[in-house]
Parts: sequence; structure tokens; C-alpha cells
Amino acid sequence: MTQVRFVGQRFAAMVIIVLALAAAVFALQKMSPLDPVHARLGGQASQGAIAAERHALGLDRPIVTQFGHYLAGLVHGDLGDSYRTRRPVTTDLLAYVPATAELAATGLIIALVLAIAFAFASTLRVRGAGLFRLGLMLGASVPTFLLGVFGILLFYQHFGWLPASGRTSIGNAPTGPTHLLTLDGLLHGRPDVTWDALKHLLMPATAIALGPAVAIGRVLRSSLEGELSSDYVRTARAKGRSERQILLGHVVRNAVGAAVSMTGLQVGLMFAGVLVVEQVFGWPGLGLYIAESIPVADFPAIAGVTLLLGSAYVVINAAVDVIQAAADPRIRV
Amino acid sequence: MSAQLAPEDVLTDEGYAVVATAEDLHVTFRRNGKAIHALRGISLEIRRGEILGLVGESGSGKSVLGLTLLGLHGAGATISGRATVRGRDMVSATDAERRAVRVAHLGAVFQDPMTSLNPTMRVGRQVAEAAGSDEEALRLLRLVGVPEAESRMSAFPHELSGGLRQRVMIAMAVAGNPDLVIADEPTTALDVTVQAQVLRLLRTLRDELGCSVLMITHDLGVAAQIADRVAVMYAGRLAELGESDAVLRSSAHPYTLGLMRSRLTLGVDRTRALPALPGEVPSPAAPQPGCAFSPRCSVAGPDCAETSPEPVEVEPGHHSACLRPLAVVRSTDTVSPVALTARAEPAGIDQDTAALSLRSVVKTFGVGKGFGRKRTLHALRGVSLQVAQGESVALVGESGSGKSTLLRVAAGLETADSGEVELSGGSRPQMVFQDSGASLTPWMTVEQILGERVRDLGRAARAAKVREALSLVGLPAEVGAARATQLSGGQRQRVCLARATIVPPPVLLCDEPTSALDVSLAASVINLIARLRRELGMSVLFVTHDLSVARVVADRIAVMYLGQIVEIGASDRVTSAPLHPYTRSLVSAVPDVGLTPVILPGEPASPLNPPSGCAFHPRCADATESCQDTELGLRLQRVANDDVDRVACINIDLSHVPTPVYITPKGA
Amino acid sequence: MAVAEPFVVPRPAWRRPLSLDLRAPRTWSIIGASLFAVMTLIALAAPLLSPHDPLVPVGIPLAAPGHGGFLLGSDSIGRDVLSRCLYGMRASWFAALVVIAGGFLIGGLVGLVAGSSGGWIDNLLMRITDGFLALPAPVLAIAVVASLGPSFTHTLIAVSVVWWPFYARIVRGEISKLAARPHVEAARLAGAGRVRIALRHLLPGALPAAVVTASLDVGNLVLALAGLSFLGLGQSAPAPELGADSARNLSLLLQQWWVPVVPGIAVAVLAVIANVAGDSVRNLIDPE
Ligand SMILES: Nc1ncnc2c1ncn2[C@@H]1O[C@H](COP(=O)(O)OP(=O)(O)OP(=O)(O)O)[C@@H](O)[C@H]1O
Ligand code: SF4
Ligand code: SF4
Ligand SMILES: [Mg+2]
Repeated sequence: MTQVRFVGQRFAAMVIIVLALAAAVFALQKMSPLDPVHARLGGQASQGAIAAERHALGLDRPIVTQFGHYLAGLVHGDLGDSYRTRRPVTTDLLAYVPATAELAATGLIIALVLAIAFAFASTLRVRGAGLFRLGLMLGASVPTFLLGVFGILLFYQHFGWLPASGRTSIGNAPTGPTHLLTLDGLLHGRPDVTWDALKHLLMPATAIALGPAVAIGRVLRSSLEGELSSDYVRTARAKGRSERQILLGHVVRNAVGAAVSMTGLQVGLMFAGVLVVEQVFGWPGLGLYIAESIPVADFPAIAGVTLLLGSAYVVINAAVDVIQAAADPRIRV
Repeated sequence: MSAQLAPEDVLTDEGYAVVATAEDLHVTFRRNGKAIHALRGISLEIRRGEILGLVGESGSGKSVLGLTLLGLHGAGATISGRATVRGRDMVSATDAERRAVRVAHLGAVFQDPMTSLNPTMRVGRQVAEAAGSDEEALRLLRLVGVPEAESRMSAFPHELSGGLRQRVMIAMAVAGNPDLVIADEPTTALDVTVQAQVLRLLRTLRDELGCSVLMITHDLGVAAQIADRVAVMYAGRLAELGESDAVLRSSAHPYTLGLMRSRLTLGVDRTRALPALPGEVPSPAAPQPGCAFSPRCSVAGPDCAETSPEPVEVEPGHHSACLRPLAVVRSTDTVSPVALTARAEPAGIDQDTAALSLRSVVKTFGVGKGFGRKRTLHALRGVSLQVAQGESVALVGESGSGKSTLLRVAAGLETADSGEVELSGGSRPQMVFQDSGASLTPWMTVEQILGERVRDLGRAARAAKVREALSLVGLPAEVGAARATQLSGGQRQRVCLARATIVPPPVLLCDEPTSALDVSLAASVINLIARLRRELGMSVLFVTHDLSVARVVADRIAVMYLGQIVEIGASDRVTSAPLHPYTRSLVSAVPDVGLTPVILPGEPASPLNPPSGCAFHPRCADATESCQDTELGLRLQRVANDDVDRVACINIDLSHVPTPVYITPKGA
Repeated sequence: MAVAEPFVVPRPAWRRPLSLDLRAPRTWSIIGASLFAVMTLIALAAPLLSPHDPLVPVGIPLAAPGHGGFLLGSDSIGRDVLSRCLYGMRASWFAALVVIAGGFLIGGLVGLVAGSSGGWIDNLLMRITDGFLALPAPVLAIAVVASLGPSFTHTLIAVSVVWWPFYARIVRGEISKLAARPHVEAARLAGAGRVRIALRHLLPGALPAAVVTASLDVGNLVLALAGLSFLGLGQSAPAPELGADSARNLSLLLQQWWVPVVPGIAVAVLAVIANVAGDSVRNLIDPE
């Protein structure tokens, strides 16, 4: 019962935050010195044409009405048209999203694997943990784009092991149903496509994973260590449980909470990393799209990407909270 | 010590006589580069089937001894000597061996049952981890008296009351029939009435299962109540060991004698200042050479500072580690002669002027954080109380009864929902808190903290005033430059009193100011409060959960239950001839030497939904049908035209005047 | 009882005299923490340290490091890569410090007001803060800069806008922990007013945590700002900026690697220095 209430409240909060995000993007658009009419018609348009266009775009109506229209458009998936491509932003986004989603998801998986390895290795004082930790820390101090650049110099130019750009080098790679090449390859019985896509993913995904891996790993390690010195662990030891039973049976469940929320927060950083790293690897995703939109001040496109990534982040963090509530009986009050 | 068994014998011998031993055990920790000598050569044995009470003030090394026996001393400790359990040395054993010993022979109960249980695991599973199966876990939960054990199996720790949680801990400890249960302050976090239940349970289990219990406690009364033999520790060494009666009633060591004399009981002479041991417990970072007790000992000689005394048998089965002959020790007063001066005139009480008066005060809190519905906690349910000019009143009751809330309402730190709070002269009362360390701003010096109450004075005048206030509470002026972390517990509480009295308030409010202090310090702080009250002519409202403290600090005692005063009267009368059934059970639950407590069954009710009618009826032995009547409208009634004594119970003959027992000075 | 035993005030740990014992971890922490000052001095002295004007071509284009009088090579129009990097580091370093200072002040103030007043003010301020925190800061910064038009000032404003909530949360958390301690109630009973309690009895206790966070944050900001600059959201073209210099010359990577790589390394050097210094500050303020 209270569980349902919790999920409901979290969902309501999520909707409010997405609305706030939409309002912020709308406000930015109004604050922006860029004139959308000018952007559409170019410098030579006549006064009459400009007025007509303003009316057509609804820009002569009160601001509240404009926002209402804007929201209504959002609900129907209408993000306006890109000044640059002249296509609906929604159509553009749909074309670019799968590449970015695949990259971000792979990055997240790598970050989690590294973080867990890092945290457990230092908690259990495994030999070599110190070196592993130093390497990760150093990696996290290097800007994402430089990690990508080093990767290219080393694994592409020097060793020739990994490709330097794009998602795939296979011409007739299947397109659908998921548009994620790793999955589509499997679904179409084309392991070569999956393998090739993984090779393309490895460098950019690792480049965006290192920073979040260190952040998540640190939190996980300190909560593991904190829990290990808690009273209930002493009780479990007094019962004669082994260290392994204590770690897996008692400590992990109490320690993951903090790491899970950190993961939610790091997703935001990861999105920024994706945008950067896509430039380095010529990855046909949202990063490339936004990078092409920024120089020409294509506001609808920029706003579209912001809204999409922002909402994804908000939804992911709401899910994180619900997962945590499920894991901790004390939140059920 | 008495006949030692060789460890080889113990191993093979099923009819073993000794469960566990400590043999010249030293344990040293490192903290911030300093060596902390927690145990400095202690030897003792725990016999089969006995309850050995291990008592000592904080930092004396009791817990470290318990943890070392469990093999849980941690990697940071340097250990020499042996700590054996059923013949196996837990110090030199491998991790696997230690675990095997814990599984087969040991059980443990720790102080705080909330943090000692895994918050995210159902209690049934936690017990089953020790018991081996769910069926066995269920049987154990029933054995330790958990009501509705089946449904409780799937509860999480935070869903149980403190007493029930401690029962769950005990169920885990006795799982697999251990030979020794190590209980480290298992009742310290519990209310007296629940404490009595838990102590009874531990004793019954020992009788039924035949295990030994190492009962670690700072409370001599608790040890007296439950232990067969008592070991007294001081600064990491054994001071005295013997049968409980011998150690507690005819102590042989100056330290034990001092503790017993400065201990507060319901029989202490309250007309004189309390005897207090001088000085404070030494820091384990810088142990005293020779006898650690020598700086505080009234029979110490020059040899004491050099020779470290070993325990010797002073009477059959009774050991004491002191260089002086028994006769000398027993014939000397071991407590500070300064403290024994009679209290001067009792404070001048002006019965006609109320310094503080509360009328029908009601206070509720909304609880339930974040999600879930808010619930109403009824902290005060209509309390009226008057404190006369110069009078001292104590509020007693179990946790959640509303004592502290009442104090905070009086202080103006909380606003009452309804009712009136009136202070004579209108000037602010001052307050002294339980946690003296936390009530001093950590980054401010004592001088700055005290100076805050006299900000309108000039620099020089302020400094003089601070010095004066410090000297009034017996602190040297140099303390003014110190911060709270650089002071000991006793010094901090004195600084708090200095802050409260630098400008004497009409009313001094005290919230358990002595419950975090060791026995010997508590006595001196109580004496200090009495002196300040007399010299400054203040009224005192003193909150405590301890009736024996209430009795010596106060002229009148008010007993609270679930947000109401159920009985109020002269201190001696309330503690020696209690009227209300709840007061009666409180008085009889106070653990003391040579008393068998009467056990009040049931759990303290929750202020979230106080029972109807008389809130005490679910636990009351005298309850009748009409007690739970929602229309009861119970009120405090005068007892026998007396002006002082009042009680709220419908089944008491109010025409009967109880005869209080006034304690006269010993030997008088 | 009133016997006044002699009492000597021990010196608090942070007031101990500076020792030069190289085996003591504290000495190393002090050295590490002073890197903040050292790096600030280097940043200030960038014009003196640069061998050439960063904006004008001074020699052959695309000279490899060590050739043509260029220690770290020259770019496609013959400007000195080293000089551009030094100026770029100066800009990054000060930008990071400015954002931190802004976040610290705004966030600290919001946190202090919220934590020390409690009640609905606390609730309102924290809901707003949470609202900001619930959005992905870097993405939001991109949107802000992109809509205001790329410029250095806009970038600083945008990042400050998304950065302060972290500080508000931390300061508010510390303050409300402190506010629950009886020392605050004791101060109230001693007659201290709201402002005095906030400034004397609460704020000093929240500073250590905020300072630790801020010093650990410098490295994060250097990286975040470099990322924005890489996306073209920084100073405009000729100005030397590390991220942008790397991005614009990415096409040279496989032939003249130093042109895009050296500015990236400069960012990494800044971040490592900041992280080492931040870690040292943390160790100094709360060891363990
Ligand atoms: N793991 C540890 N690391 C460092 N010092 C420790 C450790 N365990 C105990 N000590 C120190 O050893 C001394 C003895 O501690 P111990 O806990 O046994 O005292 P105690 O008699 O149980 O006191 P209390 O009544 O306060 O529980 C104390 O000064 C304590 O701070
Ligand atoms: S040995 Fe000396 S100092 Fe120690 S208790 Fe005995 S008389 Fe006192
Ligand atoms: S009123 Fe009834 S229930 Fe309450 S104390 Fe008296 S007898 Fe017990
Ligand atoms: Mg202890």
C-alpha cells in the first residue's frame, strides 16, 4: 500500500521536474538573442513576410499561450522544425538516438563493472588493488576527448586493433528492429555485425566510463567499508559467519544504496561525455547532431536534444529511487 | 587464583569446570599515533554455568575483554597473553578456528540492539543464521519470550520495540546451546522496567541451558542482581574478584569501596552531600605507573606509585589487588573528605511564590518523515506543575513519557499546543543537557561560550565574570582558553553549569545531566548542582530516568507516564511509599544489592496511540473494568488532605496517608 | 570538590607548528595543498612564461615539437602550441576557480539560510535546489550556452547556474546536522539571535565539509569546462582555449598528433594537479 504511494509520489515528482525542464527550455528560447523568424526566412525577408511568419508561428500571442502551445506540442511529440535540416526535430532525433543510446548503455555497463571491481578489490585488499586504483584515478583526471584521442593513436594507428570511427564497417548491416547494432546483429543471426559493433563501441564507451567508474567505485568502496565496521557485522561475526557470507549476505544489500544513487547522478555526466566523444569518433549520434546545430544556432534542435537527455536522466533517477525503496525496508514506513 | 585447570584437561574433559580464561592478557590499540592500553595484564576465569559480572567505569577495558574472548578484537590490536574459550586460545587461533569456536561455544549480546541487528534482513533469518533452521529459530524466539513469534519472524528490526530487539539478540546468542554467552551492557539502552525483564530472562536461560554468562556492565546494581561472582576492573586491570555478596557488601579494594559508597541507591542519605570519589578515571593513553588507582586512593602510600599490585586472595575465593592490608582498607573512608561535609541549610523554599508554573500543557508532534501518512505523537497530554521559588522538582518516567518535552516547553525551546507556561520575573530559564560535549559549540572556547550570556559587558568585565563563573563550579581559569574536545566529561558538564549560572537564572532545567557520566563523577555533579541551587537561590527542574538520582536531587518527584503526571509527592514518600501502581513497579525495578525486583510485564506503550482511559491499564496489575473507560477523565487527586501528595488512579484509597521512610545517616 | 587542578590547554591539531618531517603524512598534505597556490601563480605568470604571442603566427606551420624553435610544435598557421597552452591553462584555471567561488557563495548562502531557518523556508529552498539537482547539469549548461550564444562569460554563467545546488545541499546537510545538536539550543537560551546562531554556532561547523568539497571539485570543473569548450561552447576562434584547440585540430591527429593532443594533455595536467591538491586539502581537514 505504502509502496504504491511511494511510487506514485515519485512519479508525480518526476512529471513536475520534466515540466520544469520544459519551462526552462522555453524560457531559454525566449531569452535567446536569436530570432527564430530571422533564422527561418533569412536576412532579406520583407516586413510583411516577417509579420506573417510571426503570426504563423504564434509569436504574436501572449507568452502564456505560447507556452501552452509549446507544451501541447511536446505532448504530441512535436519539438518544432530544425532550422538547419528543415525536418521535424523529432524525426531527426529518432534517427540519431539509437547510436547514442547504445554508446551510453555500453559505457554505463563498463563503468559499473570497473566500479564494482575497484570497490571490491580495495575493500578485500586484493593484491594489485592499489595499482588498479591509481590507474583508474589517473584515467579519471584525463578529459574524455583526450582518452578517445589516445585510444585512436594507440589502438588504431599503432596496433591497428580497433576501428577509429563510426558504428560499423559492415555495409549491409541490418537496420531494425531495435536499431542497436549489437542486438540487431544477434536478432538477424549476424554475429559478425555484433562483433564489429562491439569493436567500434569499445574505445568510445571506455572513454566515457572512466570518470563515472571512479565516482561510483569510491562511493561503493566507502559504503562497503562503513558497513563492514558496523555493529550488525560484529553480530554476524560473533555468530561465526564467514567473511564471505557476511559480505554477500549482509553487507552488500546495505551498501549498494549509496552507489545506486551515485550511478543515477553519474548518468548526467555520462551524457555530456557521450556528446564529446561522438565528435572524436565520428559517432552518428545526438552529439554529432548537436555539434552541427550549435554553430548555426539551430535552437529547436538544441532544445530537442536537451529535453530528450534531460527527461531520460529524470526518468532514470526516478527508477533508481524506486529500486532503492524496494531494497530498503525502512523506506516503507 | 583458585585451582587452575590445565588447558589439555579442559579439551578432553566433558565435565570441564572452566569455560573461559584470560591469562595475563594485554591489549593495546594505536590511535592517532598514540598507544591506548586497553588491557594491561588481566587474569581471570569464567566457571561452568556461572554468571560472572564484569564491572568498571567507562574505558576500564570491559568491552575489550569481551571482544577478545570472542576473537573480535580487530586487526589493529597488539595482544599478548591468552584468552581461552574451552581451552582454545582465541588470540593465537586462525580465523577459521575462531569461527569454529564461536559457532560451537559462544554467543554474544551487545548494547544497542537496533544497530546490532541488520536493518534490511528479517529477524527470523538473522536468528536462523545462528540457529541453523527456521524451525529452530522459531523455537528460540518463543523460548526468549517473543510474543506472536511466527509473525515476528518476518519482521524487520525497526518494526520491533527495544526490548523485543534485545530478546531477538538473546535468541541468536543462545542458538546452538553455547557454553558461554558474552553480554556487553545488554540492558543499558533499555528502560528500567524492561531491563528487569531482560535480566530475569538471562538468568532463567542460564538456569535452563546451563551456559555461563559474562555480564559486562557499568552498573553495580545490575551486577548485584544477576551475577554469581563479580570482577571489578580499573584501568585495564583486575581490582577485585569474588562472590557477588562478598565483593559488593564487604568490598576489599579501595576502588570498589569508593564505588559502593558513592553509588546512588534509594537508601542514600539525602540530607548530606553525596560521598564522591575524587579525581577522574585515568586516560588509557597514559597509564599510571604502579597502582593505577593511586592518585584517587585515600590509603595510598609512596610504594603504590611504583609497585603494581597483583590480585591476592584476601578471604576464601575473594581476591583484591591492593598493597594495603584488608583491615586498613576497610577501616578508612575511601571517599573524598571534602564531599562529606553536611549540606548546609536546605535551600530556602518560598512555597507561596511559583518560579515556574505550567497549566494543562498539551504538546503533540507530527511524525513520519517523507512519504506515508503523518501520525500524531502525543508527547504531553495535559500536564500541570508548579515549581516554587527555590524548590527542586524531579521528573521521572521511562523513555517516551514526555519528561524532556516538558522541560523543553518550560525552556521555551518548544511551544505548547495549548496550556500556559508562566515564569516568575519573566527572565529566561537556563538548561543543562545530557550530552555535555554536544551542548558546547565545538569551535568556540569556553570563554567565548560563557561570554555569550554577558555580551553587554565590556571586555575586561566579561573576562572577570567568566573567571568567577568557572571558579564557582570548581574549574581553574585556564579552562577558559580550552575547547570542548579538550575537556573531560566531568569538566564539560561543569562548563555547562558555569554557562547556566554566570547570570543566575530563576529556574535551572536539567535534562539527565549525569546519566552519561560515571558513578563517581555523577555524584560530584549532583553535589555541585545542589550547592549552586543553594548559593544562587535557584529553582531546579531535573529530568532523570533514575529514581535514586531523583530522590537525592529533588524535594518533590513527579512520575510521568505517556505524557501525564500520574503521581507527585515528597521525594522520600514517592520512593519509599509509592502509591500509583506504575510508581510501585518503577521503584521495585531499580536494581540493587540484595533486592529481588518485581517485574512489570509488557512493553511500554507508544505515545503514538496512548491507550484509552488510564493509559497504564494494559500493564496494570490493579486494573479494573472501568480503568479503560474512555470517559474516565482521570485526574491527579489529593491524597488525604495532604497538600503535597497527589496521584491519578481510581483504585487507591485516598484517605490513607502513606508513611514515608526517612533514611537517617548510617551509624547515626 | 572545588580543588582546581592545574590545567594546560592542549594545542589543537591544526595549530601545530609546521614540521618538515618528510615521513609525516601531514607534511605531504601541506605540500600537496599548496599546489593550489603554485598553480594560481603559474596561471598569473602565463604571459611571462610564454615564449611567443599565442595569437599570431611566429614561424613555420605544423613544426614538430622541438623543431623550428617550438618546444611543443606549432599549429597549422604557425602559432606556438606551448604559448597557446599556457594561456589556455590560465583561462581554464581561473574559470574553474570563478565557478567554484560562485557556487560556494550562492550555494553556501542558500544552504545556510535553509538549514538554519528550518520549516517552510528550508522546504522551499531545498525543493528548488532539488529541482536543479534533478536535471543533468552538463546537458543543461550546454543548452544555456547554446541559447545565449557561445562566449566565455556565458559559459561561466551557465556552469555556475547548474553548479551551486551541490554546495547548497552539502552546506544545508551539515548545517541541519549541527542544528540538531543541543549546543544550538544552549546558544538560544543564552540569548543569541538567529543571525548570531547562524554565523557563530552553525556556519563554522559547515565550512570544513564545504571547503573539502570545493577543493575536490576544481578538477571536475576543469574537465567539465574543457568538455564544453571542445563542443564549441567557449571563447570564439582566435582565443587560445584548450578544449577548442584540440577539437579544431582533430583532423590533424593521425599526421601532426601534437596539435590536438598537447592541449588535451594540458587539461589533464591541470586536472591532476587539482585532484592531488584537493585530496591533500581533504587529508588535512579530516584525516581518515
Ligand atoms: N578498536 C579500538 N581501537 C582503538 N581504541 C580502542 C578500540 N577498542 C577500545 N579502545 C579503547 O580502549 C579503552 C578501553 O575500552 P573499552 O571499550 O573496553 O572500555 P569499557 O570498559 O567497555 O567502557 P564503556 O563503559 O565506556 O563501554 C578505551 O579507551 C577505548 O577507547
Ligand atoms: S595499591 Fe595502593 S593505591 Fe592501589 S588501591 Fe591499594 S592502597 Fe590504593
Ligand atoms: S486507574 Fe486503573 S489502570 Fe490506572 S493505575 Fe489505577 S488501577 Fe491501574
Ligand atoms: Mg563498553
